Amino acid sequence: MAYMTNLYDSSKCTACRGCMIACKEWNQLPAVMEPFKGNYSTHDDTNGDTFTIIKFMEEEDPVDGIRWNFIKFNCFHCLDPACMKVCPQQAYSKTEWGATIHDPDKCIGCQYCTYACPFHIPKYRKREDKITKCTFCADRVAEGLTPACARTCPANALKFGDRAELLAEAEERVKFLRTNGFPRATIYGKLELGGLNNIYVLTDTPDKFGLPVDPHIPKQIPFWQDWVQPWLGWLIPLALAGSATSFVTTRILANKHAGHEEPGEHVERGHE
Amino acid sequence: MVDLKNTDVALIMGSNAAENHPVSFRWLDRARQDRGAKIIHVDPRFTRTSAKADVYAPLRSGTDIAFLGGMIKYILENKLYHEAYVVNYTNATFLIKEGFNFDDGIFSGYDPDKRAYDVSSWDYELDAEGNPIKDMTMTHPRSVLQLLKKHYSRYDIDTVCSITGTPKNKYLQVLDTFCSTSAPDKTGTILYAMGITQHTVGSQNIRAFSIVQLLLGNMGRPGGGINALRGENNVQGATDMALLYHIIPGYITSPSTATEHKDLTAFLAKETTKGYRSNTPKWVTSLLKAWWGDSATKDNDFGYHYLPKRDSKKNYSHIAMFEAMYKGEIDGLFVMGTNPVVGGPNANKEQTALCNLKWMVQADLWLNETADFWTYQAWERAVHNDKVNIKTPADIGTEVFFLPACAVFEKEGTAAQTGRWVQFRWKGAEPVGESKADLWIVDQIATRVRKLYQGSTKPQDEPIVNLNWDYGHGHEPDIMKVALELNGYYLGDNKPVPSFAKLMDDGSTACGCWVYCGCMGLTPTGELDYKPMHRDNKDNSKHGLGLYSNWAWSWPVNRRIVYNRCSVQPDGINPWPGDEKRALIQWDASAVGDPATGKLGKWVGDDVPDFNVTLAPEEPGGKNPFIMRPEGVGCIFAAKTSMKDGPFPEHYEPWESPTTNKINNQQNNPCVKVWEPDKQGNSKDFPYVATTYRVVEHWQTGALTRNLPWLSELMPDMFVEISEELAKEKNIKNGRKVIVSTSRGDISAVACVTKRLKPMIINGEIVHMVGAIWQFGFKGFATGDIANRLTPHIGCANSMCPEYKAFLCDIRRA
Amino acid sequence: MKVTRRQFLKVTGATAATFAVVELGFDLNATASAIKELRTKNVTPVPTVCPYCASGCGLVVYSQTDSSGKFEKLLSIQGDPDNPINKGGACSKGAAMFNLREIYDPHNGEQVVNPKRVAKPLYRAPKSDKWEEKDWDWMLDEIAKRVKETRDASFIHKEKLEDGTEVIVNRTERIGSIGGSGLDNEECYLHSKLMRALGLVYLETQARI
Repeated sequence: MAYMTNLYDSSKCTACRGCMIACKEWNQLPAVMEPFKGNYSTHDDTNGDTFTIIKFMEEEDPVDGIRWNFIKFNCFHCLDPACMKVCPQQAYSKTEWGATIHDPDKCIGCQYCTYACPFHIPKYRKREDKITKCTFCADRVAEGLTPACARTCPANALKFGDRAELLAEAEERVKFLRTNGFPRATIYGKLELGGLNNIYVLTDTPDKFGLPVDPHIPKQIPFWQDWVQPWLGWLIPLALAGSATSFVTTRILANKHAGHEEPGEHVERGHE
Repeated sequence: MVDLKNTDVALIMGSNAAENHPVSFRWLDRARQDRGAKIIHVDPRFTRTSAKADVYAPLRSGTDIAFLGGMIKYILENKLYHEAYVVNYTNATFLIKEGFNFDDGIFSGYDPDKRAYDVSSWDYELDAEGNPIKDMTMTHPRSVLQLLKKHYSRYDIDTVCSITGTPKNKYLQVLDTFCSTSAPDKTGTILYAMGITQHTVGSQNIRAFSIVQLLLGNMGRPGGGINALRGENNVQGATDMALLYHIIPGYITSPSTATEHKDLTAFLAKETTKGYRSNTPKWVTSLLKAWWGDSATKDNDFGYHYLPKRDSKKNYSHIAMFEAMYKGEIDGLFVMGTNPVVGGPNANKEQTALCNLKWMVQADLWLNETADFWTYQAWERAVHNDKVNIKTPADIGTEVFFLPACAVFEKEGTAAQTGRWVQFRWKGAEPVGESKADLWIVDQIATRVRKLYQGSTKPQDEPIVNLNWDYGHGHEPDIMKVALELNGYYLGDNKPVPSFAKLMDDGSTACGCWVYCGCMGLTPTGELDYKPMHRDNKDNSKHGLGLYSNWAWSWPVNRRIVYNRCSVQPDGINPWPGDEKRALIQWDASAVGDPATGKLGKWVGDDVPDFNVTLAPEEPGGKNPFIMRPEGVGCIFAAKTSMKDGPFPEHYEPWESPTTNKINNQQNNPCVKVWEPDKQGNSKDFPYVATTYRVVEHWQTGALTRNLPWLSELMPDMFVEISEELAKEKNIKNGRKVIVSTSRGDISAVACVTKRLKPMIINGEIVHMVGAIWQFGFKGFATGDIANRLTPHIGCANSMCPEYKAFLCDIRRA
Repeated sequence: MKVTRRQFLKVTGATAATFAVVELGFDLNATASAIKELRTKNVTPVPTVCPYCASGCGLVVYSQTDSSGKFEKLLSIQGDPDNPINKGGACSKGAAMFNLREIYDPHNGEQVVNPKRVAKPLYRAPKSDKWEEKDWDWMLDEIAKRVKETRDASFIHKEKLEDGTEVIVNRTERIGSIGGSGLDNEECYLHSKLMRALGLVYLETQARI
């Protein structure tokens, strides 16, 4: 069936952050308090209890003056997801409409997906010793509802629908923006990594929004997918435990270590 | 709100709409997409609204009249006004009496001792019959248009920009873009909020908007108007119900000890004016019947004397109340879902004032900063300051009764939104613990107080003993009974009165608030039909204007766009050239207007006409669209008592200003009441312009958001915004703590050093700005210092709305 | 005459049905076992209006009830798709309304009542440094007594006007009232009526500030 996607239009987003809350509301996520560090973003990155964030970036140039760029940052639901390739437990799957779904029941919390993801989206949730990430509200979509973020966007900057149709709409929008004050407007997600299942209309180049211009998967990943997984899949837990130099193992051990502080943890607030 | 989609240009000034009214951008964006509309943002700070605007122009806080005065001059000089509209629908053609004068910032009639005007010279020249004399060519030197031209001749672009600090090219872009809406087929809207009102010239700022919009022909038309984006979900309703000292429900002046108010006859003679206000006797009598029922009779002036009469020479507004409390003149205080320890101006003083109360009753969901004003925590300060008298609980004798109120969706009732739509909220969850609806709380207090007065024969107790108070039989007051009283009912059969024009002044109807008359009807089966519950969301307008007349109910009489007579030409038949789709009503000469007499002619259209429905355009008054005004037209010149501080807005500097007034020699508004002359900060000690503001993630004092973990997460700390230039000068690092001080107090906050704020050149000198969020306090999941400890006790000359938005401060590293 | 939820359904008529109707116009079946069942399935949403800014956005409340219809807990509060102002949208504040009543504990993720909500009337005695829990009856009776005491001690029944005539003025200047802009219309109206009947002139709401 046709892929369904979110079209995010940065020229319309007012950064009200309704999507951040609606995401927490629907996915039953607690607040994660971090101190204010001089930027409205508060969180620099997603975390185990925060699947989507809005980033704020100030830009200044002699011609345009000040630009304050906002970007919704969350799982892009890549058409060919690296997380799914590397997961030793096959905890990831793709719905027939294009959502990349993570099954906590299968997850062992090894975090190799975090490392493999070009955007480092999957995050570790300590209280369950599991990885979490954006679900694309697959439970809502399965019942014919829109994802919570798209439903809540008051400014109509987020739209959920057929990927091909939204891609065409995005192309029109970019054309319009380029002739209406945003000459560098572009689409993100059409071609990147072979296509993302989240289409962005950006008013400027991706780097102005903190996005990698040419995202890529770390080089070791194909090796894992093509060699280790098919042949040694059943040995993985053992292999991981046995290899002291393995990245994954290090992470596993680190996470089992008592007192380890994760970003997802509730931290007492305060400055200096 | 939805009407924003019909605009061609939106001027957002003194509002941060994207943050404080986010859904407005849904409709502004629609206008941009469908109509090619432009959005202009004029504000001291570059905010999330500026980020989404087509044009952003900064201005120094407190210089809006200079900015708009320059716009008025630009419109007049370039003949950009919408002439047919101005001639017919405004008082631009009216002649002003000889003797009216303006000289160096002072209008005729000023008394410097009283700091007030004798307004008798601010009046129209009348003919023998008492009607204003007009010059339809608007060339007479005493015509309003010529006086306006003369008044604003001083507001040239260079002078304006040196006052406001706006870069000239940006200013010209704003003038050019917004004034394009004078074309008959274009409309422009103005959105404002507290950035406009919270000044010593707040009301005159809005007057300046009115003049601009009347000149451009933008009032009473879809996509036009002046939109106050109100900040609290039912601040409109609270105002309608007159929780304000100067009015009683329905915007009627509250009785005072003025001789003109000595009895009902005198009161009605004074308060009944021409136009729709000629119905005032019906409204007042019906209100008295609703409140005192059978005890309100013709013989006792329908209980007129039961209403309290305020001292006509006294001001009882927020600042005045806290000044009185500070002096120990108030013993008891009700605090209904508000938080003055955070939200009141000069919060150190207001917190101290609460210590002088004998008792305080507060209803709220949370123990906010006001509930906890007596705790140790409430008196912790970041910096020691001799001027702030620190107390401990043992010093504070105030008894506090805290009543837990339930949340909005744990009860039922209506709220009036910013466009006057009154919507019903159903109950979706049970109250937490023993928390109760405010309706129950008020009903209980009333019932118990009345019980204590039961049997009293003292004349002074009659207003309570005779009070008509019966909202049910069990524990829960019946909301439909309250609603019926609000709407009004016939005393015989208790049936709802269909509209306010049907109310009577003979005691046969009762009505709690005439503007709500018509909100209750009867279903075909005879049951009460509370229209705010209506949920038909089909747009009833022919051209998709988004009126949604069958969704909820709006006052008055379900009218969605007020002054809509302006949306057609004076002949009442033709829409404005090229603007057929935005004509809201039209005169239909062949329709039966009055079924009783068979008289032909009637106003018809998508919206409820804001006009006498059978008054033909060619009849006297048939072209007068502003029916609430005695003149019948929009007031470019505010005659007589309309304004306290002048018939035209004039620029005066904020009470605390970094510069001298360049347009006249009156530094400050000559009519403001100065409460604390010793607290006026000067630019030597406090060199920076400070302003306060809100963010989308928090709401008002933060009580309803800092107690929510999700919103606390998004904005966890109190911060102040400063430019990179000021940060460098003061060696302040982004994300580190600073201390901000004024003559009233100090606060600690995190510095947010940003490119979005830039120093301004004012009168040739560099002026820096400090922006402080006023939404933090010491309670909740997210806490921080209270910005209003910095703000002054001084208010607008007309409304006494505090000048939160422009004062002087100093800032340093903590 | 109380408006029950049944009545609401009647009032809202056909539009209520659209809540349950598919927003997208298609049906998708989950492919992964990881997909949870929609927790608001078959729950009737109850419309309300946002308590924050005055734009008037509608929201819908989904609650879990037991077999007898008794309220158990909140399930979700989301933008009301039928409300023409916001058409299902909600900004961060509106979307956070769930937290007004219930929150998810950051330590274990469990849903609990917001601990900041006050569940019982509280009394602070003069010069005391603590709150005491009281019952409603005691509180309301004490408040009524304070109101009467202060009113009676400070009441101005008659006063001379400028022209020398004496009229009834029926006011007390020693009791004030602030607030109300967060209350419903019906509540504001009753409050306005009661305060004025008591003779208050220091009567203000947030519109002023």
